Amino acid sequence: MQTSTTYVRGSAPHKRSWTAYVRYRALNIIGLTLLALASVIVLAPFVWTFATSLRLPTESFTLPPQWLPTNPDWTNYNRVFEEIDFLRMILNSAIVAGAVVLGQLITASLAGYAFARLEFPGREVLFWLIMATMMIPLQATIIPVFVLISRMGLNDTLASLILPSLPTAFGTFLMRQYFMGVPKDFEEAALIDGSGQLGIFGRIYLPLVAPGLAVLAVLTFNGHWNEFFRPLIFLLSRDNFTIPLGLNVLKGYMMTGSVSIVLAGVAMSLVPVVAVYFIGQRYLIEGIMMGGVKG
Amino acid sequence: MSAETAIAPNKKTSRNPISLLTENTLAGLRRRRALIGYLFLAPTIVGIIVFTAGPILVSFGLSFFKWDVFSPPSFLGTAHYSRLIADPRVLLGFRNTFLLVVLAITMQIAVGLGLALAIQQRMPTWMRYYFRTAFFLPFLMSGAATGIVIGYMLHKEFGPVNYYLTLIGLPQVPWLNSPNLVLITVAIAFVWQNMGFTLILFIGGLNNISKEVLEAADVDGARGWNRFWHVILPMVSPTLLFAAVTGVIGGLQIFDHPYVMTRGGPGDASRTAVMVMYESAFKNMEIGYGSAIAVFLFVIILLVTAGQFSLSKRWVFYQ
Amino acid sequence: MTQPTRSAFSRRDFLRISGAGAFTLAVAACGAPAQPSAPAAGGEAAAPAAETVLLRIQVNPDEESPVFELFKQNHPNVEAEFISVTGIDHEEVAAKMLAMLAAGEQMDLGFAATEATQLYAGKGLALALDDYVKANESDMKEYFADVHPSLNEAMMWEGSLYQLSRDFNAANMYYNTAAFEQAGFGHPDSGWTKEEFYEIAKAIASQSGSQKVYGYAWINRLWGSWMPWIFVNGGNLLTEERAPGGEWLWETFYADDPAAEGRGGGWRWLAPQANNSANVEALDFMVQLFNEGITPAVELGGGETLQGFFTSGTLAMTPAGGFWSGGLANAGMANGAFDVQLFPNWKNQRHQFGTGALFIFAASKNLDTAWEYYKFGATREAMEANGIFNPVTITTPSRRSMCNAERFANTGPEHWEVFYATLDDHPDTAPIPAPPISNPMTTLFTAYTARAMSLEMTPQQAMDGLQKELEDLYSREGAGMYKLE
Repeated sequence: MQTSTTYVRGSAPHKRSWTAYVRYRALNIIGLTLLALASVIVLAPFVWTFATSLRLPTESFTLPPQWLPTNPDWTNYNRVFEEIDFLRMILNSAIVAGAVVLGQLITASLAGYAFARLEFPGREVLFWLIMATMMIPLQATIIPVFVLISRMGLNDTLASLILPSLPTAFGTFLMRQYFMGVPKDFEEAALIDGSGQLGIFGRIYLPLVAPGLAVLAVLTFNGHWNEFFRPLIFLLSRDNFTIPLGLNVLKGYMMTGSVSIVLAGVAMSLVPVVAVYFIGQRYLIEGIMMGGVKG
Repeated sequence: MSAETAIAPNKKTSRNPISLLTENTLAGLRRRRALIGYLFLAPTIVGIIVFTAGPILVSFGLSFFKWDVFSPPSFLGTAHYSRLIADPRVLLGFRNTFLLVVLAITMQIAVGLGLALAIQQRMPTWMRYYFRTAFFLPFLMSGAATGIVIGYMLHKEFGPVNYYLTLIGLPQVPWLNSPNLVLITVAIAFVWQNMGFTLILFIGGLNNISKEVLEAADVDGARGWNRFWHVILPMVSPTLLFAAVTGVIGGLQIFDHPYVMTRGGPGDASRTAVMVMYESAFKNMEIGYGSAIAVFLFVIILLVTAGQFSLSKRWVFYQ
Repeated sequence: MTQPTRSAFSRRDFLRISGAGAFTLAVAACGAPAQPSAPAAGGEAAAPAAETVLLRIQVNPDEESPVFELFKQNHPNVEAEFISVTGIDHEEVAAKMLAMLAAGEQMDLGFAATEATQLYAGKGLALALDDYVKANESDMKEYFADVHPSLNEAMMWEGSLYQLSRDFNAANMYYNTAAFEQAGFGHPDSGWTKEEFYEIAKAIASQSGSQKVYGYAWINRLWGSWMPWIFVNGGNLLTEERAPGGEWLWETFYADDPAAEGRGGGWRWLAPQANNSANVEALDFMVQLFNEGITPAVELGGGETLQGFFTSGTLAMTPAGGFWSGGLANAGMANGAFDVQLFPNWKNQRHQFGTGALFIFAASKNLDTAWEYYKFGATREAMEANGIFNPVTITTPSRRSMCNAERFANTGPEHWEVFYATLDDHPDTAPIPAPPISNPMTTLFTAYTARAMSLEMTPQQAMDGLQKELEDLYSREGAGMYKLE
């Protein structure tokens, strides 16, 4: 990440005076220490999850808490593969989350641009109607949605999770905010250049909202990777299960599964989504670097 | 505009709809932009009508019926609505939800913005990379896994947090077992998981502040609190609005965390509006009543969001 | 009152109430398939043998498919589609079930435990098996002779039998053998008392050591929470009564079994009695254990971690049934590290249990095939193959002959006989109170339990509050649960 040095934007130590510099350094060190402390606290549950997944269940819940996986034992991981078709479920989740991300990037950037930058009759009303659909909890509409899915012959397919998720009120709102944040001068410049509307959208605006697209992609992937309730209702056969359903299977009949095995499953199911974040983060930073406002 | 003209082969008839669009006038330009607006919106609008708005209207219709799925629905009129405004568990659910949203969303925005600013300070690149990742990581965990792990961390007798508290001589805190504390605990779990998202939003927002503005502020000698209040905050206000609006919309529908961690307890101390709705519909099999609670919640979220937007005109600043 | 007529919920009903133009259009555009109407029970024309019959079974495929494979050997024309329900709670299972019924999905067999047995029976969702059982008397004799009458009594509603009990769990007392030894206690007598229990729990909890060990812990839910204490103290949450009827079952299949005497046509829980003195006294005891540091704060969530605490040796005792033998083995607890005894005697030693089995959907279009499969599933051969009993026992088999030394030889507990002795030695043992409205009842029960355990209310106040809310629930939803004259 060579480029991110330019990302530093804090109040740089202007050579005002020696005392000001000392004060600045002291605050800097205190700030970094506090951040480091906060990050340790925030990461502790992950460390525990991972350490526990590497221990025999009988040693998992003892006090004082053990943070290091002494005598790592991988049997919990083997058990995950024995009890569920883990790779298949990972693949299903990846298909669903990947397809939804691609679809939402398209629908949300188009709709967000229209709301932010185009004028047409009914714009405000349509925006509010779309916003309003975010305000009904999923649980309230699951039965009508399932009836619809079933009528379309889509139940027990991955498409039943993908298709209804392609339009996104949240993504539309997110992208609208990003498009609105782009200064108007760009559009005026583009119009003078003679670019058409599609050209303005595709060549001028879309690159400028790359951070927004990255945020939406990471968020959507994560949301659908971890989605539990819709798959629970829509999917019927094990072959189509996504990974959160698989983790639930690990809990076992009447909770007779072992928490350590569940945690091994949790740890493994985190890997792809963390990978997506790392990829997304690169685009996120590059997007910011390319960002609309050149210094 | 070659694309538009190319699709107009019958240009001879002067007042047909296509020529209205292709007219080389300001009105023609406006019409073209409107058409593009509708085209851009079409996938979203059609999808939302079919998969979201339609089912919402069905649910709204169901709220006037008594229906347990097993037998045909019977019309009740507005009886569910008069029942819910007198149902102490529903009212408590809404009260808990409001408290949770105020606690959690305030904390989430404050922590997210605070961390974003702290990460802006001078530090090596790898360190910035580490912090950004560390604070975002919890967002990648599922609500159910968060519930199990945080629930264990905060277990009164067996959890590590209380273990360390007793080591430094403090009493065991009944994080999840005290009706007075449980909402704060659930809010902490919620913020732990969601602050990473707010953080990323604010990092983007802060990076959108132009250098000129910051340098101008430096020249003016704006530092510390002044710099934050008069320069940074107005410049990130669109992000703030977004975080607040989506946070409140999502927060008012909070379900996973209290459900996994407490099942609404102790007593009803952490039962939220959506939990009451879910239990009515799927545990008590009163789908119509659950729908009525959802409609009520919808109206409240709509009002709160509209309020946020109308207030936002006073404080949100677009560059 | 007559048997509620089962009316399949049709697409027309759904659309009629929807009143949503957009939704109607969307549905119409998708070309809805014709909605099958529910045939009356037993009215199915026998399918030609050559024709393939597809059974849709709502059950965990890992557990059920070995049974189906065996069935298929003699029924090659039958195929199965397993509808996997991963829901851990009743709400999750119910949400899926309700959605599928609303969509008019045809299902042939499903699973229900005591919590839902009377609900599905009372709503006309489950098929009464009476006619089939009577018609297959010779086949069924062996099954009933092997299953304790109290288990199948719990499968009845208003004189009819809806399920053949497959597995059950009574709340016995599991204990950590090392914790007992360390405090100088051995295996308790089967007739041990509440006072002896208290002495052991207190001794263990007051030991000083590097790590505090709690004497006793439980999860706040309906089955096995503090309900066992209510039962051994002679109480119950609801009034108990036996429905008339059921003689056909008892006289045909249990004529020689003294334990079947006095049984009726299923339980009726007609009124709440939450604040009766036995219940309040039991809750008082729970609060006392908590206040004395013998019991940790009661778990409010799904209780995923309690098993972890027990296997880690930080808990000495907890109420659980045969399902824990497999659960603890799954969690890596060695054979011999834990053992089990009957729940202690207070005023009596009456246990509470829950039992589960498949049921047949009354609207199934393949009733005869479904019954063939159902009957096969209850045979010893099929049950031995079932994934819930094989390779690891994750719930207690309802067949006495399957509760044997071999079954528990690898996992423990050493005193596995306790599981079935619960029923044999205490034939008054009964199911958890689970009327058709048991779901909302459970929400209230756990909410007020937590109020008392968090010391927000005294046990008396909590039970008074629970009684009041249960009375409201009964007056709103309780009418028509049973076929009262």
